[in-house]
Amino acid sequence: MDTLVRFGLGNRLLVLALGLLVGFAGYRAYRELPVDAFPDVSPKLVQVFTETEGLAPGDVEKYVTHPIEASMNGLPKVTRLRSVSNFGLSVVNIYFEDGTDIYFARQVVGERLQEARELIPEGFGEPQLGPISTGMGLVLFYYLEDATGNYSLEELRGIQDWLVKFHLQTVPGVTEILGIGGYEKQFQVNVHPEHLLGYGVTIADVIERIRENNLNVGAQFIEKNDEEYIVRSVGLASGVDDLENIVVKSKDGTPVFLSDLADIEIGGAVRRGVQTRNGAEEVVSAMVVKLFGSNSSTVIGQVEDKMEEINGILPEGISLVPYYEQKTLVEACVATVTSALVQGVLLVALVLMAFMGGLRASFVVALAIPFSFLFATLGMGYFGISANLMSLGGLAIAIGMMVDGTIVIVENVDRALAEADPDESRAAVICRACLEVARPIVFAISIIVIVFLPLFTLQGVEGKTFRPLAYTVALAMLGSLIFAVALAPTLSDLLMRRQKTNGARGAVLRRLTAYYEPAVSFFVERRGYAIALAVGLLLVGAAVFPRLGSEFTPRLQEGTMVLRLTMPPSVSLTKSTELTMIVERRLMKIPEISGVVTRIGRGEIGAHTDPVNSAEMYILLHPRGEWRKASTQPELEEQIRLDLGDIPGVATNFTQPIAMTVDELLEGVRAELAIKLFGDELDELIARGNEIKRVVETVPGAVDVQVDQVAGTPQLVITVNRQAVARYGMNVADVQKTIRAAVGGQVAGQVFEGIRRFDIYVRFAAPYRSTADSIGDILVDGPSGVRVPLSELAHIEEIVGPRQITREDNQRFITIQLNVVGRDIGSFVAEASEELASAVTLPAGYLLTWGGQFRLQQEANQRLAVVVPITLLIVFFLLLLSFGSIANSLLIIANIPLALVGGVVALWATGQNLSVPSSVGFIALFGIALENGMVLVTCFNQLVKDGVPVNEASVRGATQRLRPVLITAATTALGLFPLLFSTGTGSEVQRPLATVVVGGLLTSTMLTLLVIPALYRWFSDSAAPAGHRR
Amino acid sequence: MRVLGFNKLRYTAALLFFAGLLAYGASGGNDEDHGQRGSSAHAAHAHAAEAHAAHAHAEDSQDAQDIHGKTTVTISRDHILEFGLKVATAGHGRIATEVVLPGEVVPNADRVAHLVPRYAGIVKEVRSRIGDTVAAGDVLAIIESSESLSSYGLSTLTNGTVIDKHITRGEAVTRQTQAFVIADLGNVWIELSVYQRDLASVKVGQSVLVSLGHDQADTRGTISYVSPVVDEETRTARARVVLDNSTGKWRPGMFVTGRVDIASVEVAVAVPNTAFQTVDEHSVVFVQRNGAFEPRQLELGRRSTTHAEVLSGISSGETYVASGGFILKAELGRSELDQGHGH
Repeated sequence: MDTLVRFGLGNRLLVLALGLLVGFAGYRAYRELPVDAFPDVSPKLVQVFTETEGLAPGDVEKYVTHPIEASMNGLPKVTRLRSVSNFGLSVVNIYFEDGTDIYFARQVVGERLQEARELIPEGFGEPQLGPISTGMGLVLFYYLEDATGNYSLEELRGIQDWLVKFHLQTVPGVTEILGIGGYEKQFQVNVHPEHLLGYGVTIADVIERIRENNLNVGAQFIEKNDEEYIVRSVGLASGVDDLENIVVKSKDGTPVFLSDLADIEIGGAVRRGVQTRNGAEEVVSAMVVKLFGSNSSTVIGQVEDKMEEINGILPEGISLVPYYEQKTLVEACVATVTSALVQGVLLVALVLMAFMGGLRASFVVALAIPFSFLFATLGMGYFGISANLMSLGGLAIAIGMMVDGTIVIVENVDRALAEADPDESRAAVICRACLEVARPIVFAISIIVIVFLPLFTLQGVEGKTFRPLAYTVALAMLGSLIFAVALAPTLSDLLMRRQKTNGARGAVLRRLTAYYEPAVSFFVERRGYAIALAVGLLLVGAAVFPRLGSEFTPRLQEGTMVLRLTMPPSVSLTKSTELTMIVERRLMKIPEISGVVTRIGRGEIGAHTDPVNSAEMYILLHPRGEWRKASTQPELEEQIRLDLGDIPGVATNFTQPIAMTVDELLEGVRAELAIKLFGDELDELIARGNEIKRVVETVPGAVDVQVDQVAGTPQLVITVNRQAVARYGMNVADVQKTIRAAVGGQVAGQVFEGIRRFDIYVRFAAPYRSTADSIGDILVDGPSGVRVPLSELAHIEEIVGPRQITREDNQRFITIQLNVVGRDIGSFVAEASEELASAVTLPAGYLLTWGGQFRLQQEANQRLAVVVPITLLIVFFLLLLSFGSIANSLLIIANIPLALVGGVVALWATGQNLSVPSSVGFIALFGIALENGMVLVTCFNQLVKDGVPVNEASVRGATQRLRPVLITAATTALGLFPLLFSTGTGSEVQRPLATVVVGGLLTSTMLTLLVIPALYRWFSDSAAPAGHRR
Repeated sequence: MRVLGFNKLRYTAALLFFAGLLAYGASGGNDEDHGQRGSSAHAAHAHAAEAHAAHAHAEDSQDAQDIHGKTTVTISRDHILEFGLKVATAGHGRIATEVVLPGEVVPNADRVAHLVPRYAGIVKEVRSRIGDTVAAGDVLAIIESSESLSSYGLSTLTNGTVIDKHITRGEAVTRQTQAFVIADLGNVWIELSVYQRDLASVKVGQSVLVSLGHDQADTRGTISYVSPVVDEETRTARARVVLDNSTGKWRPGMFVTGRVDIASVEVAVAVPNTAFQTVDEHSVVFVQRNGAFEPRQLELGRRSTTHAEVLSGISSGETYVASGGFILKAELGRSELDQGHGH
């Protein structure tokens, strides 16, 4: 340490150069930092999507989901497998350990997917990996506005799919463009069954014929007059005319054309999602998915430029209109913290000016801020931490602390220069002054860094959210330490002058000292009062603490409102579109709302897997100034809720885009407590689930008990009668093929228009397949020309089937969620388990587990219960190392509870809750409180060592150190002030933290200055000898 | 030494106190967390209850109340309009059941004449071609008998159209040669294929709507005959409709669809099929009672493609939802929709 300081002073040029280098490198790193809104909390996962046209959930699970799951077992670093089998779609989520390289994960999954493909029967879909993105990857949504009104939805969708999409996909950092809405163009061959019958053709013949008559082939080349001519045969259908002229059958030279059997038209494909706007129209829309790890702000910027470009080449009257941009959020978050940073710096500078006296000293101290900041950004670049609300927030928090070390150094140098013998060389004085305080500074700052250790052990969402903050605080503190020890002495040497008189500096301080000295003497003389004061405050804290409410993490306001509609699971897309548009029209009547764009169901697979009964409305608002009553987003939500009124049959709730996507990926249970029942039979699961619900409801404390709604989708089940089929000499497959082709439809190739390709979709014309009766009338062709109506061969019935099948770790499960009120969860779980064990007998193979948020919280608490004491122990040893005295160390640690009181009271007074960010505040408080104590105790020890009696030393030391203690406390507190009063986006997460630190600093500083000197006598190692001497 | 010992004790106590406080901060704080969450959920409930109460007073309200697991739904007049509910009064109606059968146009077999030469011979002259209309007594061809070497005229005994001919000038014909087929297409047969499942309901005398498709006008006829045997190959029976064809619209060989009216009865109460909703795996109709709509399971009689006869469950004069009842069903099940989405 000493050598470092001496070396620094000896090689001033080198030190300055190194300092500048760090600053420059930090600036470079800062410029290149990726900018995000929040830290990405999405889990590391790989999604496998398989689309299987028209297959029911049960069959999707059997044929698709299960083989995929089975092949994924035993992959390295996999923590969990979870799947959802929906109508026509299987989604398997493979969760990896945090920190797994995403490309590694995708690679291992991709390899196993090969095996899975072999297990999935032909024609049941092709499993595909989801986009290389995360929950925060949906950076921009846009729709196509057609000002002319001349374009059909198919045409618009065509423009989106074949023009816009391809251009946008070329933007670096964009991994996927997922379209939704409108119709995908199709050549529909609507077959009339009576004509099939009349001409003796089957639907299978029709499909076969279309396939055989729609080809291009290459046939090498011929040589002609020394030249090569490539031979190609052109037989591709190019449109409706070509299709109509396909000859399906020819009898005695008379051709039967496809047009004789079917109507051929251009139409829209079957769709599972719709996009609507303002209750007035359907639109075509798409979302831009950002590549994992790319820089949000850059990608968004480039996408916008590209959109501008595309708007230029789109047909007249059509333009891309963004309706959700993450950019606004990123900008808002960054603005919130940057303004906090700037204001913090200004406030800190003001404090310095007021207390330090002398521009030069203040300047040296203020330089600590940019240096520490740039050092932190350099570290962020190195650790790959993006600039976001939390990481920049960490810097904002640290602003006041960054200067602490330097303040102590400069203050001491200042004092030493003033008091020093004029004959002593400047360098020597400065060196001595620095060395005096270097050691305690190193310890103090190390302790601040160490108390942030517990944050690094936070797991899951909280961990991902707050770890960047811990990183940046630690980095900034480290930077400030380097500055204080290595640069500050040199800079002091260069910039500071010898000040002859103390008179010039701070009248404020003198007045404060005048008040303070009698007070501290009073307490030192009457320790009982000091203890009473401390204990009294502790009691206040203890009394207030239970009154604090709590929440896990305050909800981040993303600034974009999404109203989510949930309709009954059986609803048709047509009806859900109709209902959605009614709601949109109602919303449009609310004056604050300028527009509504809604996504119903799902579009191209990759981001959302919502069924058609779910709609997400993006509510576009007029500027805040034009709002009538509300001033904040939650208030406006309440207002909208009131204005919207009740919508029969539709459940609504407000959510936010990122939160929604991340929740979907996490798929965690939102309730505190969840009982998961694993088993094979859905009916059994539902029955037992309801049984469990009934039992659990009787346990005191249980509220909101709910069983997952897994059923609710009506099905038309066609059960083939094997005897009947056998009598006609048919196979079950013959019947099923007919059902599939006639009712569901089948793709019989593509029509190419340039590179655009459109499916040829063969199906019975609508009237022949749209009711149960007409399906029963479908004729099935057997061998030897027998034609039998389906109802003769199969039993057709309507049942209610599963809505979706969810599985975890290879097993089906059903969740029973509940919240617990008025008692602790542990005892509730114990009692409920007992009740369940006696009241519910589960069949063999059924497993019941308890989980939910409470499990996560318990884990977090357990971890903290170990880590926090360990941290304190480390701190204690550091103190011991620094002071060489158990007593001193304990005295310093005694600051912590005194600081806690202030934090608790401040939270209570401002009506905030205990939450993860406030806990982070408490942790930060530990370090700051310890720092003050250390400064004082060091000084006392010094004075005692110089032979001053303990009591006098206490008073004198405290008075002497009043300035640095007050300055450090004031800078820290004022540095946080902007966060305290900020109302910008994201401020709700920082505010509890700032509140706790500022409140805690108030009590801690006050008590440090009054109580610690009083208690010093008892905790001083030299107390006894001092007494003897007296 | 003693002082130190005393101090030690105090230190330990202090340490324990702090550790305890911290541990409480870490774990107890989160216990508090649960309580708070629970109570906030409570608050939400209380709020919902308030909202309900408020709505109950308001004109514009809908409300689902639990009555022994069964529920009724109230919906305001405005909502009925906004959500497109069609309300009707139960009353009599006609249930017309029909069976749709494929068929084809064939010549009336009673009016088809197969002309054969009386004597084998050489054809001297052919006077008629396919498609010619002939009258009884017209000579269609002159054949020179091989036996008598005298010529004779092959004449028709029926009026009709030549629909087939196997005779050319110079050709040698025998007495087996079907020289001409003359059909009277003034009326034709529509032969419908009756599947096994429909045989019980298709009977002689039933009215049939015969359609050609391709936007041509339909024609009504009557089943005059149903074959007593079923074809072994196609497993269908034949039902016949005789149609007048003076316009020549029905050309034999044409493919047609016949809709047979199986029964058409006037019933006391009939409801359209659009009124039915499936609630808890039961088919129900929403009936108005005391200002609210309740889902009722009905006992049904005959059904047609559009209507169903109601035997019991709804009486004449009651108001029910004829279409758009889905919204009521949805409202019944709404409480179940809220799950899974956090606040």
